[in-house]
Amino acid sequence: MPMKADNGMENQEPVRSLLREWKVTTPLPPRFAEGVWRRIEQADTSAQTSAQLSLWDGFQHWLSTALPRPAIAVAYVTVLLMTGMATGYWQAHSESSRLKGELGTRYVQSVDPYQKPRL
Amino acid sequence: MKSTLVILVAGLLVCVTAFCSFYYLGTASQRQLVNEQTPELAWVKQEFNLGDAELAGVSKLHDAYQPHCKEMCRRIDEHGAKLKKLLAATNTMTPEVEAALAEAGRLRAECQRDMLQHFFEISRTMPPEQGRRYLSWISERTFLPIHGMNAEAR
Repeated sequence: MPMKADNGMENQEPVRSLLREWKVTTPLPPRFAEGVWRRIEQADTSAQTSAQLSLWDGFQHWLSTALPRPAIAVAYVTVLLMTGMATGYWQAHSESSRLKGELGTRYVQSVDPYQKPRL
Repeated sequence: MKSTLVILVAGLLVCVTAFCSFYYLGTASQRQLVNEQTPELAWVKQEFNLGDAELAGVSKLHDAYQPHCKEMCRRIDEHGAKLKKLLAATNTMTPEVEAALAEAGRLRAECQRDMLQHFFEISRTMPPEQGRRYLSWISERTFLPIHGMNAEAR
């Protein structure tokens, strides 16, 4: 094997010396650098889009495989049940406090001439 | 995919139903108060744990006080209009303005005296502990110095 590698290196030497002597004389096409950058940007954008798509696909795939499992389904419904109960309780508490304050103010306005609403 | 959709929708329905039930039950007593004939007195009954007989006493005193309260309102408005007219006609402290301010002070003192008398009567119809609580609460909300600017912060 080492012999083979040495032979390969010797065979490449003429090609290398030829490449060193090669000079490019043909001019670049107009706006070459701009075109290159545009293609790089397009490649970046399409890569990002495909990454986003694959994320959404992954989520859909996870949803369709995980949610039908009884344990996950029960956990999902339980979490939403708790969320609904807690939000409903909190909203009711806040609304009750508001109504209570409003009725207290109405009572005060009914006995204090200085606080009675004027037309 | 169909079962996933069914579970997703079922979860959301459960959430909405739980929210509506808790909200409806949690606000039931306050909504009932608002629909009473005299919500403010129904609120007094609930807030100070009064029985029907005590509420009847409070309502009787409240109704008897209303004509006097309206008369005080009329006098306050009348005096306010007079003071406004005086202030519009001058930019110095005239004897008329001084007299009107003194009259406003007397009117306020008279109003506060009558209110306090009414509050004492109301508090006597309540159980002693609730009566004290009522007096403390209504005094703060009507004529004690903390009423007004600092009341919101409390």
